[in-house]
Order: sequence, then structure tokens, then C-alpha cells
Amino acid sequence: MERNEIIERVKNILISVLNHNRFEMKDELSAPEVEGWDSLSHMAIISAIEEHFKVTFKLKELNKLKNMGTLIELIQSKL
Amino acid sequence: MEEEYSIRKATLNDTDFLAEVIIGAEKSNSEKISLCTLFNIASDKIKDLIISMLNEEIEGCEFSISSFLILENKGEPVAAVGGWVEEMNDEPPSSVLRSNLIGFTFPKESILTLRSKATILDGLKIGREKLSLQIEYVYVREAYRNKKLADLLIQEHLKKALTEYPLLKKAQVQVFKNNLNAIKLYERNGFNISKIFRSENIEIFEHLPYNEKILMEKII
Repeated sequence: MERNEIIERVKNILISVLNHNRFEMKDELSAPEVEGWDSLSHMAIISAIEEHFKVTFKLKELNKLKNMGTLIELIQSKL
Repeated sequence: MEEEYSIRKATLNDTDFLAEVIIGAEKSNSEKISLCTLFNIASDKIKDLIISMLNEEIEGCEFSISSFLILENKGEPVAAVGGWVEEMNDEPPSSVLRSNLIGFTFPKESILTLRSKATILDGLKIGREKLSLQIEYVYVREAYRNKKLADLLIQEHLKKALTEYPLLKKAQVQVFKNNLNAIKLYERNGFNISKIFRSENIEIFEHLPYNEKILMEKII
């Protein structure tokens, strides 16, 4: 899957979980910059991404994520 | 009989006792275990889930074995307190580590359950200050209470944190307002009330010990 397509799909997942689109998808985007992306919604976002892309993340992979760019790379590495 | 207390770091062999500690501390003067009520987990299942999280050996949050100091009486663990320096060594925030651990360990349907209850917690979410010592999960077995054992563990945490991170400036602890014994314990050890957080949602009482949480701080 192309990187741009993954980004678009992740964006739609974020909109669906957070109920808003007030964020700009860029590699540097981190959770604290996005309204509503807190520790609770984080669990739902990761769970929804796993389900949508039919991938499973390892705990250590999740704990290494720094921003949107590293999340997209991680998804891409599993497809 | 004479008591012989000693304090040591927790190890992988302590997961059973640490699960008792976390469950006991979560109750905070009530019978509610938020890890059960918020995630719709049966109380007889939560111990195994907590042990699974501890076994992942993730450092830097409240489910890290390395966060705990254990106080023993003649080799028997009787009390424990968790404590870590927030985001030390460029670790992610403890809230992220905790979420990842729960998301990784708990059944998927329990995560969905929490999402449906998320707004209940509005008003009670307290951030943890980067590079401050975070004290969490203070527990003493019933037979050993009123002996100031938790005081010894908190003082040891402060000493240990200062050794590992000499630039440490602050320690923080979050406590439910109904837990008067805990508030007195922290005040005795130099913590002052910094801010009170409150949830106006009455459903909170079905899930948490109380609707108000206090952030207490100690300047080091």
C-alpha cells in the first residue's frame, strides 16, 4: 500500500475516534498536539488501526513511536 | 515478636505481591477497582491481567516492576510503594506507556467499553510533570498499618530518585480526596496540596472511589 493511502486511512481513523478533523496530517504531528488524543483515546486509536489494517503491533514497537511519521512507517513495515 | 524490616527493589519474583499492592491501592478507601469498573473486567480476572502487564518489564510507569520498592518483615513482603521519574531517559510519558500496556494486555472489548465511558473521567485527568518523581500505588498489608511503614518507603523513593537523577526538583502524588489517611501520610512527608480536580458527573461514583482528586507536590 502506498504511503499516502496509509496516511489517508489513518486520518479517517483519527476523525472517527476523536470526532473532529482539527489536525493536519504531517510526520511531525504528535499526540499532545491533537485535541482529544489522550491516554484513553490512544488505546482506541491503536486498536482501530490494528483492526483496519489487519496488523498487530508489539508493545515495544508502540513504546518507540514518537510521532505520526513513525506510526505510518510502522504500519507500512507490516503490510 | 521483634520485627525486622528491610527495603529492597521489586523483582520479577514479586509480581503476585505487586498485583495485591496495585489492587489494594486502587481501592483507595473504597471497594472499587477502577481497572475493573472502567474496563468491565471481573474482579477475579484483574490480578492475572496486572501480572501480565508487570511481566512485560516496561520501565517508567505505574505498571513497571522497576518502579516499586518493597518493605519486608523477616523476608515477607508487607508493604510497597511505586515511584519513577517521569519521562527520564527520553521515555514516552507514563500515560502512553500505561495505555499501551493496557491496550496490549486487556481484551479488545474492554477497550471499547472504556471509550464509551471516557467522558465520565473529564475533570479528573491530571498530567504528570516531566522529570518529576511520581509516587503511585502506596500499599501496606492490614496487619502492618499505623506503623509508618509507607513513610519509610516514600523517603527511600526520594533518596533513590535523587541518586539516579540529582537534578530532581519535585515529587508529585495524586490522591482521592476521600483518602484522608493517605493525605496525612503525604503531608507528613512534606507534600502540599497543589490543585484539586473534580468531576461533576455523578456516574463517577460507580467507577472510582471518589469524584475529587488532589495533586500534592513536594519541592526537593
